[in-house]
Amino acid sequence: MVEENELITDDNIARVKDLLACMEKGHEEDAIEIIDELTAIRETELYQDMGKLTRELHDAISNFGIDDSVSIMAEKSIPDARERLNYVISKTDEAANKTLEAVEESIPICSDIYNQASELHSSWNKFIRRELSEDEFRGLSKELSGFFKKSEGLSTVKDHLTAVLLAQEYQDLTGQIIKKVINLVGEVEDKLIGLIKITGAPQYKKGDSSSSDDGSSLDGPVVPGLEHKDTVSGQDEVDDLLSSLGF
Amino acid sequence: MKILVVDDFSTMRRIIKNLLRDLGFNNTDEADDGLTALPMLKSGKYDLLVTDWNMPGMQGIDLLKAVRADDDESLKNIPVLMVTAEQKKEQIVEAAQAGVNGYIVKPFTALILKEKLEKIFARIG
Repeated sequence: MVEENELITDDNIARVKDLLACMEKGHEEDAIEIIDELTAIRETELYQDMGKLTRELHDAISNFGIDDSVSIMAEKSIPDARERLNYVISKTDEAANKTLEAVEESIPICSDIYNQASELHSSWNKFIRRELSEDEFRGLSKELSGFFKKSEGLSTVKDHLTAVLLAQEYQDLTGQIIKKVINLVGEVEDKLIGLIKITGAPQYKKGDSSSSDDGSSLDGPVVPGLEHKDTVSGQDEVDDLLSSLGF
Repeated sequence: MKILVVDDFSTMRRIIKNLLRDLGFNNTDEADDGLTALPMLKSGKYDLLVTDWNMPGMQGIDLLKAVRADDDESLKNIPVLMVTAEQKKEQIVEAAQAGVNGYIVKPFTALILKEKLEKIFARIG
């Protein structure tokens, strides 16, 4: 840590020469005095170095602190992000339920109309082939009236489809929220890297994704673009794997 | 045909129930994890169990293992269809070894559900 050009100065060389001379002459007290002087020089440099290091550390820590974004993050942004993500869950949940409701109410209407249309179709074919008796024809016209009445249900289906359409608004809102949270995660990452640098923990580069995978937790859905070890991609591969196991 | 659908997300249960209804299976019940499902299975005389893997409380794989280890022969041999987002090979193998009858990864289509169910029922005969 002591820089050579600071140690090897004319003054110091002269001191060492004096020291040698004193020792050769047996002037012990003078020799001790010179050694003390040299030690003092050495110590001063050591203290200076330590002082420098302390200052650097202090600066680094206070720079870290001056930028109060860290405390803002901890106190506000992160709880805020948690709230936002919870909102995303409730918005997507709401949208899914609205959609499901509309679909569940539409399906029976559609199948009802479809079934009756099929019946009418066969009666109609009979009519065209002139196979319909007078009574059956009366039945057919009654059926038709009923069918027209039933087809009014299509306007309900139409309303439901509009509801499904509108329910998709969640995508816009949640997309914006998630983007904000992604930005925050990026900022937190930067701050953490700064902290790691100060504490001198092993080097970490941004974007280094060799995170530890203990394999004990469940991975959940595979996300395209992220590396997933030993996973299958899609139902076909699941089927292949299972059939290779004798399924 | 009585079916128990187990998933912690109500929307997913609803989707599966609707698809099953479309395939002609109208008699379905729901449970939100293994802990609620197991007593229902024990008392309910179900013909098929459709379960997610990742759930709080009791996971689908543990539910499968519990069912296969049950004393009641009819519950022990109930067909189990896993419908899950878990795609690790290791997990699929684990499910197969635990005695799963079908494994569907999310997201899935109505057609895949139909195929797997047909396959399961064809095997049972």
